Amino acid sequence: MRTKTLITSMGLFAMLCVVIFGLGVKGLALDETFRRFVLAALWVCTWFAAVVGLNRAAASDRNKSFFSALMLLPFDPALVYLVRLVSTLVWLVITQALLVLLAVPMLKFDFFSQPLMLAVALMADVGILALGVLLASATGRLRGGEALLTIALLPVTVPVFLAATGATEALHTGSGAAEAWPYVLLLGVCDAMFLALGLLLFGKLNEG
Amino acid sequence: MKAKTSNAPLITLALAALGLIGAEVTLYLSYFYTPVQISAGTLYVVTPSSGSTINLYESYRIFFIHLPAAYATALCCTLAAVGGIAWLLTRKDAWQALIVSASEVGLATGAIVLLTGTFWADYAWGSGRIGSGWNWEPRLTTMLILWLAFAALLVLRRAMDTDKQRAMMTAVYGILLGPLYPLVSKAIEIGQTSHPKSFSDLLSAPEIATTKQVATIGILLALVSMVALRYCWNRLGQRMAQERAA
Repeated sequence: MRTKTLITSMGLFAMLCVVIFGLGVKGLALDETFRRFVLAALWVCTWFAAVVGLNRAAASDRNKSFFSALMLLPFDPALVYLVRLVSTLVWLVITQALLVLLAVPMLKFDFFSQPLMLAVALMADVGILALGVLLASATGRLRGGEALLTIALLPVTVPVFLAATGATEALHTGSGAAEAWPYVLLLGVCDAMFLALGLLLFGKLNEG
Repeated sequence: MKAKTSNAPLITLALAALGLIGAEVTLYLSYFYTPVQISAGTLYVVTPSSGSTINLYESYRIFFIHLPAAYATALCCTLAAVGGIAWLLTRKDAWQALIVSASEVGLATGAIVLLTGTFWADYAWGSGRIGSGWNWEPRLTTMLILWLAFAALLVLRRAMDTDKQRAMMTAVYGILLGPLYPLVSKAIEIGQTSHPKSFSDLLSAPEIATTKQVATIGILLALVSMVALRYCWNRLGQRMAQERAA
């Protein structure tokens, strides 16, 4: 049941992102500016899709007191964190895939010409969700926590955002993979650091 | 613990007195000691890979506020992260007060950095109209993000339900602030940047170099005394809450 609602809402979300974006830039010629806008839109939509996904998961946890029950079980909190991370990651990747599949024909988005983009997208998702899962576990318990998560998550995930947009730009504006590598490296460093922080702090943030 | 709380106001007073003197001396030096340059002369900043050097005329004086405020923001960011780690290890209330004070003052000093920076940029990079210098250059953008992160910490803190959750969230978010400062400081090396990288041209004038040293110490002391003042205030608040609960 939960799976079905999540898929539907995230699919519709992806569709609406593409439609709203298409409406916003209607009349813009298919030139350099247009392509840059599409690349930026991919990351803006991914980021908000991550927030929507995290909030939805937190909301259903709150309704069923599922999360408090989970934390009472004799598992290492780091394990709970990893499971949450993987499950949210699956949903974000599905949404992103839908987003790209719609954007390729509708926004003339040339995603698949650069295979490295797949790695960049996955790494960026991990980076955003590593902190997202950590912060959502605290904000999810509050009324009005949805808005709080947005406020809390953006500033701290900016390194990921910066690296992802940098890599995308390098890959799609002709400079090629050589120029994208420093950004991919930055993404890797951010992922490692945020995952370590998440694993260390998740148990502390949710204790007692 | 007791000795610490009784010492804090004294240290704050001393810091504030030194900071006041430092700020006054800096103001005096930056207006009456540093050279006046009305016509195009020798005082330039080095501009980035794109564009030519900019003649600063009198605009460089804002730098004596901008730089110490940036240092203070860096210090606040570090204090918040250190406070977060120390609180998780020791669970002493004093560290909470430190994180909150550092974020509050970081919000103020970050605003000073952004405002003085953009006023200068409006003149140097833009047309002189307010906002014309804001060009989404990496240093500007990352600094704005750091400022938003300070604000987010204070907002999150207020929103938490229980004292325990509030303390936990403050400490965790304080730690998350830590990686942001290296990002701000490295931002001028990422991609195209118009933020000046080297001030060697400007600092070759000995008066300017001396004033910069005095400003760095003086204004930084004034800003640090603000952290100390907020710390005393927040400690007082904690003690009042404890007594009310008892």
